[in-house]
Amino acid sequence: MAKKIRVLLTKPTQDCHDRGVRYLARKFRDAGFEVVFTNFLLADEVVTTAVQEDVDVIGVSSSSGGHLPVFEDLMAALRAADIDDVLVIGGGVIPPADVRVLTELGVAAVFGPGASAESAVAFVTEHVRERSAL
Amino acid sequence: MPDQETPEQAEAQWQAGYDRIGKRFGDQAPAQATRPQSHSGLPIKNAYFPQDVPAGPPEAPGAFPYTRGNLAAQYQFMNWANQPVIGYGLPEHTRSRMDLLAEQGMVGYFGSRFYNLVYDLVSHEGLDPDHPAARGRIGQCGMAVYSAQDMATLFDGLDLRKMNVVHITYYQVVAAFAQYIAYAERQGVPPAELSGNTMNWYHQSAYVGMSAFPPEQGLKLAVELISYCTKHMPRWNTTNFFGYGVEEAGGTAVQEIGLMLAFGIELVRACEAAGLAADDVLPRFGFQFAQANDFFEEVCKIRAMRRIWATTMAERFGVTNPRSMHVRIHTHTSGAVLTAQQPMVNLIRTTLHAFGAALAGTQAMEVSAYDEALAIPTEEAATLALRVQQVIQEETNVTAVTDPLAGSYYVEALTDQLATAALALVADIEAQGGYVQAQRSGWIRSVVEDSAERWREQVDSGERKIVGLNCYVAGEEAEPQLFTVDPEVERIAVERIKQLRVSRDAAAFDRAMAALELAAKEFADAAIGQLGQDALILAAIDAARADATTGEIMGVLKHHLGWGAPHES
Repeated sequence: MAKKIRVLLTKPTQDCHDRGVRYLARKFRDAGFEVVFTNFLLADEVVTTAVQEDVDVIGVSSSSGGHLPVFEDLMAALRAADIDDVLVIGGGVIPPADVRVLTELGVAAVFGPGASAESAVAFVTEHVRERSAL
Repeated sequence: MPDQETPEQAEAQWQAGYDRIGKRFGDQAPAQATRPQSHSGLPIKNAYFPQDVPAGPPEAPGAFPYTRGNLAAQYQFMNWANQPVIGYGLPEHTRSRMDLLAEQGMVGYFGSRFYNLVYDLVSHEGLDPDHPAARGRIGQCGMAVYSAQDMATLFDGLDLRKMNVVHITYYQVVAAFAQYIAYAERQGVPPAELSGNTMNWYHQSAYVGMSAFPPEQGLKLAVELISYCTKHMPRWNTTNFFGYGVEEAGGTAVQEIGLMLAFGIELVRACEAAGLAADDVLPRFGFQFAQANDFFEEVCKIRAMRRIWATTMAERFGVTNPRSMHVRIHTHTSGAVLTAQQPMVNLIRTTLHAFGAALAGTQAMEVSAYDEALAIPTEEAATLALRVQQVIQEETNVTAVTDPLAGSYYVEALTDQLATAALALVADIEAQGGYVQAQRSGWIRSVVEDSAERWREQVDSGERKIVGLNCYVAGEEAEPQLFTVDPEVERIAVERIKQLRVSRDAAAFDRAMAALELAAKEFADAAIGQLGQDALILAAIDAARADATTGEIMGVLKHHLGWGAPHES
């Protein structure tokens, strides 16, 4: 049997909007993923949790702005920890212009307002499988 | 003329006619034709009759239990107050938006200046801008105000006695409140002459996902603020019941009012334990409710809340002052139901929400801006949101009549249903030991989350339609013009706080902080029944006088009271 996909879903603690990401946590679990859900203050905490939990995917939700520094810090912390096999995705209220910046930073996909949970499940399933096939 | 027909016969006849139409559609009949439901999931009928309102229409406006309104008059003598929420960037940026909206006709009651000010995400987290986690969040979604000195920039030249300031904070309320008092003192204005509101929103950590104080400590902090204000600030509204947050987290209309009533019982009980009288604290409570998509349910929700709040407070606490039984409402039209797709369509949604709130009899309103789902509103979007209110107030004539929907069989029956369902939720929470217990166990969170999931699944399946999202979808859309906060804001905010730390009187600061430490430690160990001396608030005000920042004051509170993930804290 294939190993279950492990996902860390997390959001900055300053951001009060957790409705979308908690819903996604439920849908990921329904899809058979193992999901860890946390709040974080600093990007380092995300990396520590990701390593401890040995996750395949980190999903960061942000709906109150301030997402660019969060992702900058996160990607830098991942590089510093020599982690290059974790898929990083984003979600929340992120304007299109910022999505382009995040893509350049190495964020694999951004699921904005109205994106379906199914599309996120499909994306994660496909990309984690691709990566493990390498 | 046909023979005198009873209402029952009329309904039977209607039903027969309705069923004949239904037969033609068979399996193709839409859900609302065969299984109509409110958005809360309450069963509704396809037509209503007198027998659906067995108790008859409710009392007159201004008569207990105030279903039809707190007072005999609604908007005839004074419109609801236009209260947009303002706050972004540095204090001077927020100030310029305050002045712009005031010029555009934003007024409070009796023509007073009225400012609804929201603090930024850094302040909400109880941090200062030079904390590493502040980057990217300084002046975002609120104003970068962290000290009495920042308040001096914000309110420069305004007469504090002649204005009402709503401080929209999360758990940093003690710090912001103390800084406002300290700033006012420097202007020669004593606390007794200040008008405004604090949120006192500790109860929201039951359903809002930010780090928080443990629920028991949150309740004590709420009582502490109420206790101080009851003694020293007769013009201050102490506590806001954040129903809007329930709706935003995905809760239903029933949950929104039921949870607020359950918390109201808990809070008044706690105030009484601390030696305060219910009739002294209740008149200073206010409410913030959402106005969302199910037009009639959202109107009836408000009518039902007025009724069950008044009856519950009278029965449980024996209050006699009508103001203790009134639900004073600030409506915030729902941001959660707005879409990033085809954003201008949001103006139509918010207009319907605002119109519903007007018919429900709200006291004050903020209309969400059409670009809410995308970013902080632009000036154009903020002004249009204000215009929505002004058009309803000035052009529709709905302000001439109080509770204009009263007597509609549907409206009265749905109001009854909502009241019954909300009271059942309250009974459930009371059986669990009250709001704080149900918060600690995670029960409140889970019922709200179940509703959010149901809503999302209805949207994903197309059962619930959202124009532009799951129907009438447009192709590629032009990128809208979005508001951005000047990147210089961060640098300047950090510079200012560093400057403040250097320039303030270090000895006075150290003394005040040592006293705050002691007060916080004692507060953490105190039972609710031991509160009432206001030692913590007084120490926080002293610290603010010594130019303590939000991060410094909150750091002490977090250390002694505990701080962590909500729901599990």
